[in-house]
Amino acid sequence: MATADELAEAYGDWRGRCNANPRLAKMLRGWDRTVHLVTSDTGEGYTLSVAGSVLGELRSGLVGAPDLVVTATSEDFTDLFWGDLNPSEKYLNGEIVLAGSSEDVMRLDAMSMVAFLDQ
Amino acid sequence: MVVVGAGYAGLSAARNLVDAGLDVVVLEARGRVGGRVWSETTRAGALVDHGGQWIGPGQHHLQGWADDLGVTTFPTFGDGANVEIREGRRHLFTGLVPTSDREGSADAVAALLELDLLAHEVAPGEPWTHPDAIALDRRTLGDWVVSEVGSAAARAMITTATLGVFGAEPCELSLLYALAYAHGGGSMSALLRTAGGAQERRFHGGAQQMAVRVAEALGDRVVLDAPVSSVRHGPGRVSVTADRVTPDGHRRPWRVDADRVVVAIPPATQGRIAFDPPLPGRRDQLVQRSPMGSVTKIHAVYERPFWRDEGLSGQVVADTGALRLVFDDSPDDASHGVLMGFLAGHEDRILDGSGTAGRAAVALAELAAAFGPVAGSPIEVVEQHWSAEPFTRGGPVACLGPGVLTGCGPALREPVGPVHWAGTETATAWSGYIDGAISSGLRAADEVTAALGRPVRQGA
Ligand SMILES: Cc1cc2nc3c(=O)[nH]c(=O)nc-3n(C[C@H](O)[C@H](O)[C@H](O)COP(=O)(O)OP(=O)(O)OC[C@H]3O[C@@H](n4cnc5c(N)ncnc54)[C@H](O)[C@@H]3O)c2cc1C
Repeated sequence: MATADELAEAYGDWRGRCNANPRLAKMLRGWDRTVHLVTSDTGEGYTLSVAGSVLGELRSGLVGAPDLVVTATSEDFTDLFWGDLNPSEKYLNGEIVLAGSSEDVMRLDAMSMVAFLDQ
Repeated sequence: MVVVGAGYAGLSAARNLVDAGLDVVVLEARGRVGGRVWSETTRAGALVDHGGQWIGPGQHHLQGWADDLGVTTFPTFGDGANVEIREGRRHLFTGLVPTSDREGSADAVAALLELDLLAHEVAPGEPWTHPDAIALDRRTLGDWVVSEVGSAAARAMITTATLGVFGAEPCELSLLYALAYAHGGGSMSALLRTAGGAQERRFHGGAQQMAVRVAEALGDRVVLDAPVSSVRHGPGRVSVTADRVTPDGHRRPWRVDADRVVVAIPPATQGRIAFDPPLPGRRDQLVQRSPMGSVTKIHAVYERPFWRDEGLSGQVVADTGALRLVFDDSPDDASHGVLMGFLAGHEDRILDGSGTAGRAAVALAELAAAFGPVAGSPIEVVEQHWSAEPFTRGGPVACLGPGVLTGCGPALREPVGPVHWAGTETATAWSGYIDGAISSGLRAADEVTAALGRPVRQGA
């Protein structure tokens, strides 16, 4: 289990790397979305937004209507943000669940893979 | 009613026509049903699928047949690390994409996303209606890869994926066709996935069983060893001639007259049937421009799946060589170990002259490079070289080049008088797959019953 602070710190690191990555900036072009993160073990909710090809800060709580909801354990979120976890494995065996329109799911799936590979 | 071909499409058409109360004769060229799906027990006692074998999420027609007939499935083995062969070196990775060249893989994932976003805008059943259809159909998938994908490693990954899905090189496929095909199965990434995708599960007892059972239920309506050579058609009447093998082993023309015919064979084999009067020009051009992909499946059978002991999944992704993709095709109970490799596209054509033994030697050397010397000494190797099959002519599916869909696509399903078209190539979803074959047969049967003024049945 990861604490809210640990998760926020890991996200901050990931966000910095993503926003500095030109390939991701291209993939995120024109894709402005609200994403909710739900931790399945600690039952917490977070909100982040993508706007103008940039990932925004992580806010505590489920704010606004989400385009996408990602559910995973707090540990998996933290590992994913630190770049220690290959997201495709976790999607494939259903440990990370993405809910949203098929296009949004496709985008988030691909961008998290690129963020993992291209760090 | 006559149905030509007892693959999944023809059997589906026949089953639905019989359910609608019509008299049906199915003429099948081979001595077996199932067409591109053929399960065989090898001498060593392993059951292999020489053609279609997998079922994935969203394939409701095939799942429906399996449920009806009580055929069960099991997950494709995928535990452990996959082997990547890149520039002749061996690496291990887990998850969907190789990780030895992370930047190349990131490029490949970004490119796949681009393709999937494009594919989402193309209607699988009628790609020619896309506002940019002409432009998308003038380019090949290969042109797109060259202009959009920066790194050589990513291009090689997309080529390997294309070979696995189509049995063709990216330069052979119209971009519009590739996009429509991908969307028909959800997305390109869905076509490439094992878990969560088109390679997710296999059938206990092999994928041909459902065809065999449906044919058994159709009984003597299914006539084997009856390759159709000509179709004469006039308004509301057809007469279909097959070269039937007589009990004394001779071939004799055998004619069946009917109100309508459903032709459920690959387009490339339709060109070998004499239609009288000839087909409309556009339909004939479509047939001429629908070559089959090139694919051979090679199965190496071992006492046991020894690679699993080393934490390997049995899957290989290679950027060069003959076998670009390998899977663990062992039975669910692991009573044998079976590695199955695809030989596809250019390599398959180049190795045509090497014969079965030559292809096996190349395949075993590559399996040994991926899994160690033990893999080079299986108890048995069997192959199915689909290009040499006169009633299939390649596989897994027809591969349309530039200009075909926009020029001839609307002729795909359009009946010609009393002649109706089925087959996976005509499907509006999962074209190229068993599921698409079944739905195409259902659609053709509905066309026939509607034309005859019978009520159209709903569902599968
Ligand atoms: C190597 C390989 C792997 C594949 N893997 C998969 C997979 O894992 N999952 C999946 O869903 N799909 C897979 N496919 C594709 C799948 O097998 C096909 O999409 C499907 O079986 C096509 O069915 P069909 O009825 O349309 O055509 P076919 O199966 O080709 O049936 C046509 C039938 O018509 C007969 N015929 C041909 N000419 C004549 C004639 N003149 N007169 C009478 N009969 C004739 C043929 O003998 C054949 O029985 C694979 C195919 C291959 C080759």
